[in-house]
Amino acid sequence: MKTMIGILRSWLLTQPIRNKVLVFGVVMSSIPLILISLYYYSFVKSDLEERIIEKQSLILKNLSREIEVDFDQTWRLINERAGVNQLYDHTESNYYNLLHESGSIEEVVVTNEQGYVEKRVSRYELNLPGKEKWLPESMMLKLQTNDQAYGKVEFNPYGQPVIKLAVPFTENGRQKTLGVVLQLQKIIGKISSLRQDHSSYIYLVDSNERIIAHQDYSRLWRKQPNEKSDDVVGVKSKLDDLGWTLVMEQPESTAYAPIKQMVQNGMSAAVLVILVVSLISVSAGLYFTNPIVKIDQAMNLLKQGRGSTRISINRKDELGKLANSFNEMSNELVLKSRQLEQEKERLEVVVNGNGAGMALVTKDYKITWMNPVLRNWFKNDSLSLPCYALIGGESAPCEDCPIYDPNSKSLQDKRLKFKTNNDEDKTFRHRVFPLNHAIEGEGEFLVVVEDITEQQLVEEKMVQTDKLSALGIMASSFAHEVNNPLATINAYAEDLLDRIDVEDETMSEGETEHYLRVIQQNIERCKRITGNLLNFSRKQEWNAEVFDIQEIIDSSISLVDYQLKKNKIHLTLSIEENLPGIRGDGLKLMQVMVNLINNAVDAMEEEEERKLIISALKSKGGILLKVEDSGNGISPEIIPRLFDPFFTTKSAGKGTGLGLSVCYGIIQQFGGSIEVESKCEEGSVFKLFLPLSEGKGR
Amino acid sequence: MKMKWYFFFVTILAVSVLLYGLFEFSDEKTPEIGVLMVGENRYQKFTGLKKGLEDLGFEDKKIHFTVKNAKDDQGRLKRQIKSLLKSEPDIIVTLGGIETIELKKEIDKTNKSIPVVFAGLAAPKELGLIEDYRNPGSLFTGINNYHTSISGKRLEMLKNLVPSIERVFVIYDSTIDTSRLSLEEIQDASGKLKVPVVPSDVSSKDFHSSLETKITKEDAILVMPGFRLESMTDEIAELAKRKRVPAMGIYEYEAEKGLLASYGASFYSQGYQASRFVSLILQGNEPATLPVELPDEMKFVINQETKETLKLTYNEDLLSIADVIHQEEADE
Repeated sequence: MKTMIGILRSWLLTQPIRNKVLVFGVVMSSIPLILISLYYYSFVKSDLEERIIEKQSLILKNLSREIEVDFDQTWRLINERAGVNQLYDHTESNYYNLLHESGSIEEVVVTNEQGYVEKRVSRYELNLPGKEKWLPESMMLKLQTNDQAYGKVEFNPYGQPVIKLAVPFTENGRQKTLGVVLQLQKIIGKISSLRQDHSSYIYLVDSNERIIAHQDYSRLWRKQPNEKSDDVVGVKSKLDDLGWTLVMEQPESTAYAPIKQMVQNGMSAAVLVILVVSLISVSAGLYFTNPIVKIDQAMNLLKQGRGSTRISINRKDELGKLANSFNEMSNELVLKSRQLEQEKERLEVVVNGNGAGMALVTKDYKITWMNPVLRNWFKNDSLSLPCYALIGGESAPCEDCPIYDPNSKSLQDKRLKFKTNNDEDKTFRHRVFPLNHAIEGEGEFLVVVEDITEQQLVEEKMVQTDKLSALGIMASSFAHEVNNPLATINAYAEDLLDRIDVEDETMSEGETEHYLRVIQQNIERCKRITGNLLNFSRKQEWNAEVFDIQEIIDSSISLVDYQLKKNKIHLTLSIEENLPGIRGDGLKLMQVMVNLINNAVDAMEEEEERKLIISALKSKGGILLKVEDSGNGISPEIIPRLFDPFFTTKSAGKGTGLGLSVCYGIIQQFGGSIEVESKCEEGSVFKLFLPLSEGKGR
Repeated sequence: MKMKWYFFFVTILAVSVLLYGLFEFSDEKTPEIGVLMVGENRYQKFTGLKKGLEDLGFEDKKIHFTVKNAKDDQGRLKRQIKSLLKSEPDIIVTLGGIETIELKKEIDKTNKSIPVVFAGLAAPKELGLIEDYRNPGSLFTGINNYHTSISGKRLEMLKNLVPSIERVFVIYDSTIDTSRLSLEEIQDASGKLKVPVVPSDVSSKDFHSSLETKITKEDAILVMPGFRLESMTDEIAELAKRKRVPAMGIYEYEAEKGLLASYGASFYSQGYQASRFVSLILQGNEPATLPVELPDEMKFVINQETKETLKLTYNEDLLSIADVIHQEEADE
């Protein structure tokens, strides 16, 4: 049962709403009808059964009474004729009278003590005594104790059921019997043939449980079944004297026919109601679900990308509003989809056409997507590698990568070199951006890789050009710087030679050593000057190492020392003690310092008081270097263009316009920043911030 | 989808029809009873039949009779039998021997199987209509009016009523089986009762002249069953009256017409009794299983006027049990 309900429930859940509405309608219409019908059925059935039994009892009572009256009358007649009260004699006319008074008596006999017929008056036969023993033993026995005796129901030669009745009497001192043969066909016939309504029937059972009257003659003279059949409604009535039982029964099928008729009519009504309700349910179901079906179909079309489908529902209820909302949403969606496609197309053009390689990387460093530009740079067999292996050639993730360290917002301009698919050595700039709205597992980070090989070459050329320009500026300084020690060497050497030539005996060994030491010191000075110059002018790639900032500042100043002196510039150095080492290329920083000092010298050319302050102090997470001059300052309108390549305010032949641009590039490579503060006629301050650990290691 | 709705409604209707079919209601159609009578004088049986059915609970409107009255024309009777069989009634009730015998012939020819109730005829077994009284075993059942078997008894009663009778003329019809069988019964009883009998065949040419010449004062007339004899009652009554001899018939109407006495089952009571068979068959019994019955009652009737006219000595014992009728009343 539970399984059935479960199956029905599952089936119902899978059905469309209109079927559910139909089922609801049918159930709601049939359940009240069924309940009412069941109530009336049980009520009417018991009432009907009561009435049937009442009617049957009445019929049986009347019939029993009729039979009993018949027999009583016969007994009365026999007893009278038997002369019990001596009112009658035993003449033939007396017995003829008996025949006359009771139409059912077939014959009257007087038997002797042995039961043989002495006298006979018959209705059909000749009044001859005959030789048969008329009175059976059973009756004779009964007559010994009773004043009357019934025989068994038996048949005469014509097949008629008859019963013998006898009473004893005494004639002339002899015990005799007056007997009659009573025809039963009238009683039996009446019981059998009495028309009964609705298949009712009556039957009569004798004392031996033998059916002696029945509407169905095939059941006559058979034993009555002991068990009452369950499918009949009936009553019994006992005829005590005879020991007979009258039974009236009616099959339940016909007894309850009116109820069946009622049920049938009820069913017709129920079917009609169910049909009508079903029609209404179907209409209601269709009325309610048609808009939903239309919306569903339109949504499917929309889902399949077949464009917007307008739903036409001429209703103003919630479903009508829903349809209108859907139409609006559908139009909006189509419009947005077009815009999205447009955006996508643009993005694809940008992504694939800007020359940068792009990839989406998951938190597990797995590349989920890359654009064709990036794909072309790598070999196919390495595309499944993690990003740090594929792009960086590393065996572990980079520590400064935002994928590795979520606190790091993005990886900016990290440069790397690798061989492309075509075995070309190329330099790339590599940036990583976390994506805030990415779906997990589909790439939460965007990696942008730019081929900056050409750019780097240009930058290197710019740096070199800038260097050469600085060297040009510093050339006379170098000459003077070298010339002075050379002149000293020359003077000491000539003086020493003269004294050797004159064999000056006063010249002690200590004086000779002094001469040679001075010469050596000046040679060392020359060597350092030329070494610095050589270092400065050398074209080299980024060489990262930890250097002492004080040393770099000193070297830078030594390169421009002559110029400062020549221009009578008062240099103030303010270097904080115990500054930590900075990782990066010290020579590049030297180039920056030289450039900034040269610019300061130029800026103070027309000033009377010329002050240059170079300071270095610890700042938050790095070192702040400041180059401050008391020059004429920089106009605010040109400050934004100050770091642009080839932008210069100097006269032709004096500047290349590359200096500050190169400085900017180098400080960027340090991972630091450069800014300028300037006030016209007061001077400018260039602030360089160099981070302690973010210097690029390559 | 439309098809599904269509199927839904068809299913509801089909289930309804099936459930409807579970409740079988048999419409009680009006039974059609065919009634065959050879002549008008059997009409009393029909009256009895109708009354009997009415008493058994069949009202007129619940039963329909098709009555065929041959008006004492045997040829017409045969035609009516054919016509009746063609209409195939539920039961045919024959109101006498000749009707039953002719019907049997026709049924045997046509192989029809319509139950037949004979409302009184003599010696159905001897006539071959039934196999046995208790189990007739054929399409025929009904009332053995005992008019053949009772013939001896009638002779006895006639002799007892008028003890002075020395010889009895037995009028019979040699062409009618029952009549002939009845004569045999009479002849058998004649020996036992020691009453001489003279058979007188109405089919013989010298029937009238023979009776006219042979009957004397101490003689009596006993009429045997037979439809032709039934139609000759007036003639026989007139003869008995003229010859001043007692005559005994079977039916009450014979006494009414002037015969001294009659002893037998009345037409009315036979018809009345036959209604039980009709009822039983209508209620589903086969005629083959319904035992043939003897008449419920035998009527002994004396015509008071004839009795007085004859001025004979009568047995008072028998007179005391007889139903006495008066000619005037009967004529009225």
